[in-house]
Amino acid sequence: MSEEPARPALSQAETPAAPAPDPVPPATKSSRNIMRAALVFALFGLAVSMWHFLWPSELAFTAFMTIGQGSFGLAIVIYIWMIFRDLRRRKAL
Amino acid sequence: MEEGVFSGDSANIHRWLSWAGVIFGLIAAVILVYALTRKPGWLNSPAAHWTLLIGLFLLPSVTMLLGNVVGFAAVKDSCGSCHTMDPWMADMKNPESKTLASRHYQNRWINEHACYTCHTGYGLSGNIQAKMGGLRHVIREYITGVPAEIKISRPFPQKTCLHCHAEAASFLKTEQHVDPPEIKEGIFSGKISCFLCHDPPHPR
Repeated sequence: MSEEPARPALSQAETPAAPAPDPVPPATKSSRNIMRAALVFALFGLAVSMWHFLWPSELAFTAFMTIGQGSFGLAIVIYIWMIFRDLRRRKAL
Repeated sequence: MEEGVFSGDSANIHRWLSWAGVIFGLIAAVILVYALTRKPGWLNSPAAHWTLLIGLFLLPSVTMLLGNVVGFAAVKDSCGSCHTMDPWMADMKNPESKTLASRHYQNRWINEHACYTCHTGYGLSGNIQAKMGGLRHVIREYITGVPAEIKISRPFPQKTCLHCHAEAASFLKTEQHVDPPEIKEGIFSGKISCFLCHDPPHPR
């Protein structure tokens, strides 16, 4: 049985370094502005819903059903879209 | 003294739901204003993600859901609030009227939401249809204008009458409903209209 020749030890400098994780780039200014727009849309939807809750009337209900929920729906669409964008940016998708 | 939320009184439950909507909505609004006033970099933080999940998605979604429930219940009695419907409302409240709608309303055969009960299909699809129909009516009233002739948009579904009357003792003991059996089959299949013999539902 032949003895396996001893391998020379790798010096500290020769040790292969683990690949550094890609840094997550910060959200761009446009992303932040779009997100802020979503917040404003949601706030507007909530304001209309407050009108509908506190001073109920046919007009308030109609406004709630159309522009109120429409505005909030738009905010949600933007929010979900931004989540997907963020996940793609982080290479999670 | 107001009864508790579990009294079974639907108006009371809706009042509680309405206040719940206000509270959820206000909390969400405070969170959203907080998020809007943070520095731009804040949106990248994990705290922002949780804050937006609660303040932009969860709480407002509950508020909108409650708004639908409360609002939809509140407008069930609003059919007569437009002048367009004045002649129909006058007939319903006229003690001399013999129309089916008037008799159902004045005798309290339909205890509440008289228009809504007969003009809405049953189940979730019925509610959605009623909601879309109501929106169409509002748009006509406020924007496109009311047509010169008001008429029902689709044939009145016989099953709406049968929902309450079918197999009722008073229905079955009426000979004209069941004898010969083909009559009953015709009524149940919708081939024989209730209004063939009964007074019209509204003034013609």
